[in-house]
Amino acid sequence: MMIRALESLQLAQLAFPSEMPDSVLAPYLFVSAAMFAIGLIGFLTRKNMIIMFLCTELMFQASGLALIAFGRHHLGSDGQTFVIFVLCVAAAEAAMALALVVLLFRHRESLSASAWKELNG
Amino acid sequence: MNCQPANLSGTLREPDSSPIDGVYERDTVEHIISPIALYLICALGAVGIALALPRQHHEHAKTLERVGAIALAAAFGLAALVLGLRASDSGSALPNIFFYPFAAIAIGAAVRMITHKRPVYSALYFIMTILASCGMYLLLSAEFMAFALVIIYAGAILITYLFVIMLATQAPTGEEDEMLDEVDAVAREPFLATAIGFVLVGLITSAMFTGIGHLPEPMMTQAQAADSVLAHLPKKIDKALDRAGVLEEGWRVARDHESGLAMIDVDAKTIEIELLGDDANGNETVLATRTLTGDQWPAELGADNLDRLGFNLLNDHPMMIETAGIILLMAMLGATVLARKHIELEEDLKAAQARKLGRMLEDTHPTARGAGGQA
Repeated sequence: MMIRALESLQLAQLAFPSEMPDSVLAPYLFVSAAMFAIGLIGFLTRKNMIIMFLCTELMFQASGLALIAFGRHHLGSDGQTFVIFVLCVAAAEAAMALALVVLLFRHRESLSASAWKELNG
Repeated sequence: MNCQPANLSGTLREPDSSPIDGVYERDTVEHIISPIALYLICALGAVGIALALPRQHHEHAKTLERVGAIALAAAFGLAALVLGLRASDSGSALPNIFFYPFAAIAIGAAVRMITHKRPVYSALYFIMTILASCGMYLLLSAEFMAFALVIIYAGAILITYLFVIMLATQAPTGEEDEMLDEVDAVAREPFLATAIGFVLVGLITSAMFTGIGHLPEPMMTQAQAADSVLAHLPKKIDKALDRAGVLEEGWRVARDHESGLAMIDVDAKTIEIELLGDDANGNETVLATRTLTGDQWPAELGADNLDRLGFNLLNDHPMMIETAGIILLMAMLGATVLARKHIELEEDLKAAQARKLGRMLEDTHPTARGAGGQA
């Protein structure tokens, strides 16, 4: 069974991947949705600002998985191209967010999001 | 709703799945998962996460965490089982067997990431999630993105996170959770947030699974898709033919005169080749052409993932590169401006900081204070 699974693995660099049925696409989407929701829950519940930004990265990751799965379903490369873009945005977001966190930490000596309650508009 | 599971199996969908009087022929979640099972699984997962989220000064915190982990594992197993049973009922293909461990690791590590009390461990668990999703990318034949993800996410972004975590937190001195900051040890509104999160999963998945029924067919067949990229890469075909030794001196793949595309037919496995030379006036011209057929087709000729991705990026989305460049430049400038700002601590904060340092010093070197007093 393992051998058959290995053979069916379309890692082949030279063969163009064959069409992917719905029943194979669906589990990937389910994992992607679950990962997105876990990221959202983490963002809402944790108080540490670094963890909150880490959770946004998890949500990026989940959307990337969905993009690649849909791209594979359509036999195109657009999904992967968009994941490259998502990666760029994630990198930019990480740089900005971490600079901001360091700045805020130096002000209050705390990573708690509730240390900045007065920003609640 | 005329849902016919037998027709949805493994094969490509019929081209006539167009709307009929505004109703799609197969517009239900039913053929992927029964909605009730989906919502049950979501509820189970929600309970699991809500129990596992960190809480302090709770006598049964450890037990609750374990119960939560069991509930989550049950939800995952149930989801795999239900999806698998439904797919085998209708005789359609299941994902590769390697999908299940990768998915389990990805979700498990993601949950551990949001429930762990120490930020450093959270970041490490996030790297684990990334590596597991790289495995899934490989199963989806996106090899380049899988390795790019390891290098960029696990190698670069997460290391930056680790640096900031270590810069901005004091390491706990004991193993006890009491030493942790209150920030990390207590979750805010765990039940409400988890409920919202998993209502969202239920909605997203039922919307996506419903949407699967409406997905347009792949725009081209497997052979056409390979064809469309290969035809743009005549040099690559030349090289493959050269290496296979089917090409004599001076011959090359025939190019279309107007578009410059290579004359190649992946489906029929034929390649047209031409002999270039100078005509009477010294201009380069085609002297002869002939067609290579199936048995001369080089075994290694094909557009791989990297060819297709690079071609797609540069040919179809050139603007994206410009936009990404601007975004990265702005982020770099912004981060520099934000991080170099000098902060003056307020007086009372400064005093608190000094007291904290003094206490730490006292804990580690009991004699330090006495020595300071004498000086």
